[in-house]
Amino acid sequence: MRSLGDLTAAWEARPRSYSRAVWALALGLDALPWPWGEEILARCFVARAFVRTARLRRALAWAGAQPGAGRRRWSLARSLCFHHGRFVARSALVGIRDPETLRRHVEARGEEHLAATGPRAILLGFHLGPAHSYLALRVLGHPLTWVGVRGASAAWSRAIRARYQDDRGDLLLPRAQSAWARRLYRARQILLEGGTVFISADGGGAEAFAIPLPGGPAPIGAGWLLLRRTTKATVLPVLSHMEGRVQVVTIHPPLPAPLSDPALDLEACRRALGELLGEHARRFPEQCYSLVFGLPPRRPGSP
Amino acid sequence: MTSALTLDRVQGIVTHVAGPDRIPSAAGPDTPLQDGGFWLDSASLVEVIIACEAEFDVVFDPETDFTDQALSTVRTLYGVIQAKRAR
Repeated sequence: MRSLGDLTAAWEARPRSYSRAVWALALGLDALPWPWGEEILARCFVARAFVRTARLRRALAWAGAQPGAGRRRWSLARSLCFHHGRFVARSALVGIRDPETLRRHVEARGEEHLAATGPRAILLGFHLGPAHSYLALRVLGHPLTWVGVRGASAAWSRAIRARYQDDRGDLLLPRAQSAWARRLYRARQILLEGGTVFISADGGGAEAFAIPLPGGPAPIGAGWLLLRRTTKATVLPVLSHMEGRVQVVTIHPPLPAPLSDPALDLEACRRALGELLGEHARRFPEQCYSLVFGLPPRRPGSP
Repeated sequence: MTSALTLDRVQGIVTHVAGPDRIPSAAGPDTPLQDGGFWLDSASLVEVIIACEAEFDVVFDPETDFTDQALSTVRTLYGVIQAKRAR
């Protein structure tokens, strides 16, 4: 059980992308034995779609755009809302209080691709499934530096934060305008020193290109491309999905080596990521919530 | 080879990274680097910083050198580089 002090601190660290109601629910449900809280929050998101019908309409429109959706449109839309709620709960680790329980519910595939990579690796994440793939990889023993927002980690238990977040040198983003530039520059230094960073490819801010997917485009940011171009680091796309109650994080083979012509290089990345994300969206359409409900707004100046 | 540090050279780097589409008509040393000026996003801003490091042979400390104030205009960026070179 959390202390009142922990609860207050977590409440005050509410991420901007979470409404007060959702954040209060996530913190409150954490008191229940796992996975009750996760299940309840997932069902709340389904119920919310029927109250806020705009969300339901968006989900149905998206479901209708899926290949072969047909009569599955309603169940797909419901499943999308359910997964969105589950991912929100999983981001806050609702009901998961100790590192061992967390370890039992994450799994990595394609680790051989990371092992085969020399120094300087960029693990490139996407909002097309459960969040915090970097945490899952860290739990599984991969040393990396997270470049991104603190997100729902304020809701994590002390034990999990102590083992997997504190003193890890993560480049978390304060609200200053220049924060992203500072963090990107530092990430570049880490790569040049031979380290591994995990950064999200998609989101708002400066967009390098968009990948068309069934139901909506996935915007791809420019920050990771700058890191790749200026460090020659190997880029390994990382996608995540749920299988039952286990978050499966898949490390994919590296993107093609950088080309000297920036336009050709951009096109090569766009093509490779297009194939990868297209396949992921076809296999797990109900988990690609960001294509329907959008991504959390980024701070000014974010890449 | 290290170049002489001048405002013009710093502005040259900024305009090169910004590209023709983002350069405001009356661009000068006091034009904001980001919103309302050269419209550099953070990735472009870091590109400018990396180019300045190579051009003027300085190494920045991101935590102390890259404040909102330091990265506000060509002139303030020039000031940071000047201070680094004076050390």
